[in-house]
Formats: sequence, structure tokens, C-alpha cells
Amino acid sequence: MPGSSVDILIIGTGASGAAAAWRLSEAGFKVLCLEQGDWQQTDQYPTAHANWEFQGATNFAFDPNIRGLPEDYPVNDSGSDISPLMFNAVGGSTVHWTAHTPRFHPSDFRVRSLDGVADDWPISYWDLENYFDLNDEWMGCSGISGDPANPPRSQRPMPPLPLGPDGERIARGFDKLGWHWWPSDSYINSEPYRGRNACNNCGPNGLGCYQKAKGSTDVTYLPEAVKNGVEIRTGARVYEITVDQDGRATGAMYYDSDGIEHHQTARAVIIAANGVGTPRLMLLSKSKHHPDGIANSSGLVGKNLMFHPYAMVTGFFDDEEPNTYQGALGNVLMSQEFYETRKRRDFVRGYSYQMNRSSGPAKTATGLTIEPVRWGEGHHEEFAERFGKSALLAIISEDLPEESNRVELDPKLVDSNGIPAPKVIYKVSRNTRKLLDHGIRNAEKALEAAGAHRTVANPLLRGGGWHLMGTARMGDDPERSVVDRHCQSHDVDNLFVIDGSVFVTSAAVNPTPTIQAIALWTADYIARERTDLKN
Amino acid sequence: MPTKEGTLTNSDKRNMRAVMDRLIPPVDDLPGAGSMGLLEEIERMAETHDRYRQSMVRFLDALTLDMSVEVSGGFLALDSDQQDEAISEIENSISGDFANVLEVVYLAYYSRPEVHRRIGWRTGPLQPQGFTLPPFDDAILENVRKRDPFWRRAPD
Repeated sequence: MPGSSVDILIIGTGASGAAAAWRLSEAGFKVLCLEQGDWQQTDQYPTAHANWEFQGATNFAFDPNIRGLPEDYPVNDSGSDISPLMFNAVGGSTVHWTAHTPRFHPSDFRVRSLDGVADDWPISYWDLENYFDLNDEWMGCSGISGDPANPPRSQRPMPPLPLGPDGERIARGFDKLGWHWWPSDSYINSEPYRGRNACNNCGPNGLGCYQKAKGSTDVTYLPEAVKNGVEIRTGARVYEITVDQDGRATGAMYYDSDGIEHHQTARAVIIAANGVGTPRLMLLSKSKHHPDGIANSSGLVGKNLMFHPYAMVTGFFDDEEPNTYQGALGNVLMSQEFYETRKRRDFVRGYSYQMNRSSGPAKTATGLTIEPVRWGEGHHEEFAERFGKSALLAIISEDLPEESNRVELDPKLVDSNGIPAPKVIYKVSRNTRKLLDHGIRNAEKALEAAGAHRTVANPLLRGGGWHLMGTARMGDDPERSVVDRHCQSHDVDNLFVIDGSVFVTSAAVNPTPTIQAIALWTADYIARERTDLKN
Repeated sequence: MPTKEGTLTNSDKRNMRAVMDRLIPPVDDLPGAGSMGLLEEIERMAETHDRYRQSMVRFLDALTLDMSVEVSGGFLALDSDQQDEAISEIENSISGDFANVLEVVYLAYYSRPEVHRRIGWRTGPLQPQGFTLPPFDDAILENVRKRDPFWRRAPD
């Protein structure tokens, strides 16, 4: 019921908002989530339809500017080398993620101490370790212990997904070079788990999961949260965090799907709207106490935007391994041979490799990460060379924070409610460029060792902004950070931020398990230390 | 030339089919993409996604206004090499629009059951049937398991 006050108001139901909603509801808080999208019908995902590849390129595209659905907001990315990607629905971007779920390393939290760059985090891997485990359990992790590139950890709830013939081929290539590789951790069920089906190996898991085998939060945390009494209010587009005469948060203003404005009150507000949506909302929330946007006395809201710049190297094979399009797209294996700083290199920090397998016919023709198959004479021959005969190594690079990379409010572009849209300004740094070039050279070696007769590199994937980080960073110093180690705003004691915005550095792995571990860590802090926020 | 609203005239449709036949030529027992009856499908796709519609309109405008094509009596009067040359010129002059047109043609062509049969792809929806998920075989880990842990320690 709009207007009825709650303890905790959470903006967003994606990776972090859902985890926090469940955890806080377990602790007895009255929680309401405002979500601009809607619940997804899993049996209506694109893979349930013959035109699934067309849907993947249009109304289920990763890029909101291409999708253009009513629940999406436009993003001005003309000043950015990389397009930010996201999904607006219950479950957020976990609906269309590939659920590749490595953890940050202990060293990722200490880059200033170890390598003299960026800043250390105020928390460590070990602070989050139990929350990583808890999250693996709730999201449903398939994987195997013993990875020499990572600290020892608990047994995963399920065994790994199979590598497939294409994955085994790449693994043997890494073995031949003596380089590290390990089966990917994935939030995809390799066997039935907690009432959800096992994966049936269909392939394009970025298009939602018909089988509910993929751990998107609409099928993991949120059903349990709802059982605990959490309300998910959909079609609610928040445009302001409201404050009282002392500048403390009182709730949020939002438009419902009919364009009617509402004010929802709460004892505390948690923003979980991703690394672009969160700073947008904070910058929109100006008041006498917060003239530059809420919780922005440091001036750092929106600054230090980090992506993971990706380069992609595709290898083509002429042996006839069958069915290389079967299996989850990016959930095969990863290599962290080049993860850490080495003195003899001309860049700091490092990168991971993530293998992607081949894709369906239309995506093969349009080019997954490389140029489309040529048109005209020779089209069919080139298509035949590519289809089902490729594997790809994605170089996921660490991106160091720079204040010039940022999210602002666009002075002209607005969403369908007339709310200013975000404008993203981002340039790939020289360090990142060197790092990616190093990664491309070594990917070519690895693919050739695996038997590729030809490789093609995409030096920077423009449409690769899946990971949105750093725009409301965490720290102990209020002048150099937006939130403290418990994700509580330095300026507003009943305002929290829990998505990738709080990241101090980006590491060189997919961020979602770390985002969710931080959300759970923050929820436990609130439950333990902020009983004043419970009615 | 398409109308202001973007509706294709009969002449546009004939030109577009001919272009599509050059983008994806006949192969084996399959006709080219234009002769396969895909244009109506592409028009439906373009109706729902404006970037395709706008690009197709601009592409057809460019094709109609191309002087060399016009002098020769229109695109249909050109031989296949000349048609390819005319398409290439447009590709170079409005590359973004051409990319969108090519994308939508590829999406439509490679969604057709007869094309799937030819390339050995199981046609239709991927779900609920999916494919078999075999178990993970950890024999493949034999080499990498021998490696000592090398993750970097960090101060607390």
C-alpha cells in the first residue's frame, strides 16, 4: 500500500537489493523494494520462441538504448569508449547475466599496499569470506575446489558444469603452455537444486533462463524474501531520495507505471540501482542540505566509474568437434595466469581469461564480437568456416579508478517520465590499453596451442559495459569516499549504498558475487548495529 | 523511395529484394535471401524496432539517389557485379545504417527453418527441450591440479 511507512526501503531488486532484502527480512525488518521493471515470466523468455536470436538483438538486448522498453531509461554514452549495459526488471541484471561467478582475490582489496596504485579497500577478502559462502549457497554455485590461483574455500553446493568438447580443447591448450586454468564457478545448477531445475545446456543463458537453473535473484533470494513479508512494488521509478530538516533520509519519491507520483516513507533507504543508476539517483536528490546531490559532500558521487574493459580473441578450428554451441555461453573455464602485477611488464595489475563458446546461427552471422560474416559472394563459405567452429577468449582487465571517468546528469536527455538521464564519460587508460594488448598476444598463443588455425582480435569491446563500479566508493575518509566500510553514507546515517558503486577498485573478475557478499555484510551490520531502524 | 512515414513503395520492395539476393546469394537448393520471401518478415521486424526501420529507409533512399544506379536505369537493371559495387558504395557512405540493414537481414535469414536444415541446426525454440547436460569429468584437471597455490597474499 503506497504511503504506509516501512523500516527499510530498497531501491532496486537486482543482485544486491534482493540479497539485502532477504537478509534484513530474516532479521525481522519490514522491507519494501521499489523496482522500475516487472516480474519476468520464465516460460516467455526468448529461448521459448523460434526467433530467440532476434529477441536477443532487440527487446532482450543488453544495451538499454537498443532495448528501449518502457521500464528502461536512456543513457548518453556518446562520450564513453564503452557502453554501459543493464536490465531493468525484478532480478535486475541477474536476469540476463551469464552467471559467471569468480570471487575477488585477497590482493584485490589491497592494491595500494601491494602495487602503489589506487586505494586499499577498508575491508578485506576475509571480512567477506563467510558472505561469499552464504551467497554461493543461496544463488546456487556449481564449481570445484582446489584452484591454485585462489585461496582455499568451501565445497560448492554442486559439481561444475561440463567443459564440453570445446572447453576441453582450450583447457589442453593452456596445459600445453603450462598456464593456469580452472573450471568456472557458475550460479547455474549442474543438478536440481532447491526446487529449481538443472541446466539443460541450451546455450544462450544471457537471455533469461527458462528452466530457472540460472541463479537470477527473482528465483533465488526474492521468493524467500517475499515469504518473509518483503513487498516488491514494480513499475516504480524512483527519482528522489527525500530528506527531513536535518538532511536525514525520509524515503523516496517515485512514479508508478501510470505516471502518478508517490512518496514512500522509511526509517532508512538502501540504494541498489547499479553503478550508473545509483549515482544518477543520488545526483538527482538535491536539497538544502545536499546541494550537490545526496551524500555528496566529498564530490565523488558519480566519479571513478570503472568498467571491465574487454578485448576478445576468437579462434577458429577446422577439426569437427560437434555441438560447440551447446552449453552455457561463458561458463566454461577461466585462466588467471596473468592476474597479478609483474615487475618486468609495462603495466600494473592484470587480467583474467574467460572462455566463451560459439553461438547460434544468426549471432554467428552478425558477429558475436567480431565483424559480421561478409556479405555477397563468399558469404556461405565464411559462414561455414565460423559456425560451430570457434571459441573465444575474453580478456577481462582490471580497470583502475580515475575521477575523470564519471556519471553525470545529462542536461537534455530524459527518460519517459521526464527525469534527466545519465551521461557517461569514460576513456580507456594507457595502463588498461597495455594490459589488453598483452592479453591479446597471449590469448592468440593459447588458442593456437589449442589448435586454432586462425585468430581474430577485437581490441576493445564497445558493447561490453556489463560491470558498473566505483561511483559511490567505500572508504574510511569522508573526504575521499561516499560510504563507509558498512556502506553507510558518511553524510546521511540512514542512507546506504550496496551495489557496485561502492567498489574501490574493480579487480579483474566479474563482480557480482562480491557485490552480493557486500550486500549481505551490510545487511548484517544494519541488523546488528542499527536496531534504531527497526520499528 | 520510401514515403515520409517509412512505408516501402512497390519499387522499394523490388529493390530491397534484389539487394537481399546480393547480400546472401543462393546456395545449394536455397534461393537468395530476397527471393526467399523474407522481406515481409523484415518489415515486421523493422516496425517493432525503429533503428532497423530508419536505417532501411535511409539505405533505400541512398540506393535510389545513387547517380550511377540512376543513370543505368535503376538497381534492377544492373548486373550482379554492378549491384555489388552500388551496395559497397552505400556501405562506405552510410556504414551505420548499412550495418543495421545487414543485421536485420541476417537475423531474418538465419531464423528460417530451411536455412537451419541446410546448416545442421535444430530449428525451433531451444526450450524446453534444450540439450543433454553431461556430467563434469575431472580427469581433465590432472595437470593443473599439480600446480602449487600461487594466489598472492595481502596484508590484512
